[in-house]
Amino acid sequence: MSHPLTRRTVLGGLASSGLLLGACGRLDNATPFRQLLALSDRFTLSAERLVLAKRPLVRELSAAEISAVFPTNGTTKPRGDAYARHLDTGFRDWRLRVHGLVERPLGLSLEELRALPSRSQITMHSCDEGWSAVGRWAGVPLARVLDLAGLRPGARFVVFHCMDRVEQDGNYYYESIDLFDAFHPQTILAYGMNGRPLPVGYGAPLRLRVETQIGYKNAKYVERIEVVDSLGAIGKGRGGWWEDFDHAVWFAGQ
Amino acid sequence: MTPTADAAGQRIDHRHPLPVRIWHWANAAAILVLIASGFLIFDIHPSLYWGDDGHAGLPALASLTSPNLDQPKPTIELQIGRWRHDVTGVIGTVVDEGDSGKYLLVAAPPDDWEFGATRGWHFLSAWIVGLSVPPYLVYLVASRRLARRLLPTRTELGPRSVARELWQHLRLRRARGEAAARYNVLQKLAYLGVLFVLLPVAVLSGLTMSHAITAEFPGLFTLFDGRQSARTIHFLAALLLSVFLATHLFQVCVAGFRNLMRSMITGRFVVDTREHP
Repeated sequence: MSHPLTRRTVLGGLASSGLLLGACGRLDNATPFRQLLALSDRFTLSAERLVLAKRPLVRELSAAEISAVFPTNGTTKPRGDAYARHLDTGFRDWRLRVHGLVERPLGLSLEELRALPSRSQITMHSCDEGWSAVGRWAGVPLARVLDLAGLRPGARFVVFHCMDRVEQDGNYYYESIDLFDAFHPQTILAYGMNGRPLPVGYGAPLRLRVETQIGYKNAKYVERIEVVDSLGAIGKGRGGWWEDFDHAVWFAGQ
Repeated sequence: MTPTADAAGQRIDHRHPLPVRIWHWANAAAILVLIASGFLIFDIHPSLYWGDDGHAGLPALASLTSPNLDQPKPTIELQIGRWRHDVTGVIGTVVDEGDSGKYLLVAAPPDDWEFGATRGWHFLSAWIVGLSVPPYLVYLVASRRLARRLLPTRTELGPRSVARELWQHLRLRRARGEAAARYNVLQKLAYLGVLFVLLPVAVLSGLTMSHAITAEFPGLFTLFDGRQSARTIHFLAALLLSVFLATHLFQVCVAGFRNLMRSMITGRFVVDTREHP
């Protein structure tokens, strides 16, 4: 297992030298307007990679600032027998699969994830709709899990496959981030919220917290993590359900 | 150096140098897109809060809400501070998004509206404003255009002068002769307010909503007292910019559409020296 710090330094250097540009993968280039928007998104991504070059942490708040009510959004309970069974058995048979461009594909139980070094953070969650709320999240840094699996050469993106089908088109929700965000110290796979196990409405048993980006990037009900070299083969190729369905921006740090 | 008038008493002033014209039109287009896309983003959650915690169920500074969104015929309420008013049928429309619940919007967007792409447009045009305003302010100072055309004199700022100008505006009297060659005091204050207050505040409060930007510049949270306050201030800046835009367009029509448009396109502005102010 390589030393995380070394990898971080290397990744940080790569990102700030602009090698991670063009990260949006295959884009729908049907019209000049779309091309213009894609260009603008890539520009935003590279500008914010420069801003984040020193890997600053997002602000962490105090326990007094935790929202009394935290809205739920999107799916609030995945449909289907498989999820119902998981609820009945307390996610005993649930496994987080890690596969793709990794040295050692993993199947981790909730207990195994909880046994890994954890991180707790009180942060603000912001939805692209405009609202925000503050919560305490506990989980394992994604970097830990990726280090356990070991990235293979060519790995560039981490894709999160979820257990919930989205009503609009019946497809499973998915999201993706690049290695820069994946190895950010505050990017965690959260199994706890506000001191309790992650409730169903918020993505039980496991959700992504990528604090440098907004709401829809923080995939809920994660059950499979796929490491890829390109987003082209995932969904329609734009890197996430909202990106595919609604042309949402892939990098949502803005 | 003042150009001399021709036999008909008309003089051509080179009113707007090229940098001013380029900045003006690039920002005119960008600000129109920003206001339109900004409205559509606001549309999906038409409530304004202060601090960091701001979402449905919390007291809002101002909001458009429905106390009975789940009912077949929901009513709609506009709230500003302690003032509440039923606006059902006047403002607001309810759309059903299935699993995602029902949404109360200020106005219904077109059917093929893509919320995600709207944000893309907003950031594209934000880049134009954000990248062009700071160098333009430097240009205005360095070229002395700020001092020569935009800064009001002490006399102009006197109550009598301001009152007279206000009265002229209310009567829709356009400036004549040499007076038309200069900006009047209200015009100067409006342009200064937009350039040095509204646009910088809009850009900075917009940046405060970014998780990535505030990670590196947490001072923005201090400046605006939190993300939701920044959003509220962003909204107010956009509202004032919209008021400016409407007034500006109206004034262009009142004060001589062809001459003013020509001057902002080619730079040339015709002064009728025989007109008396």
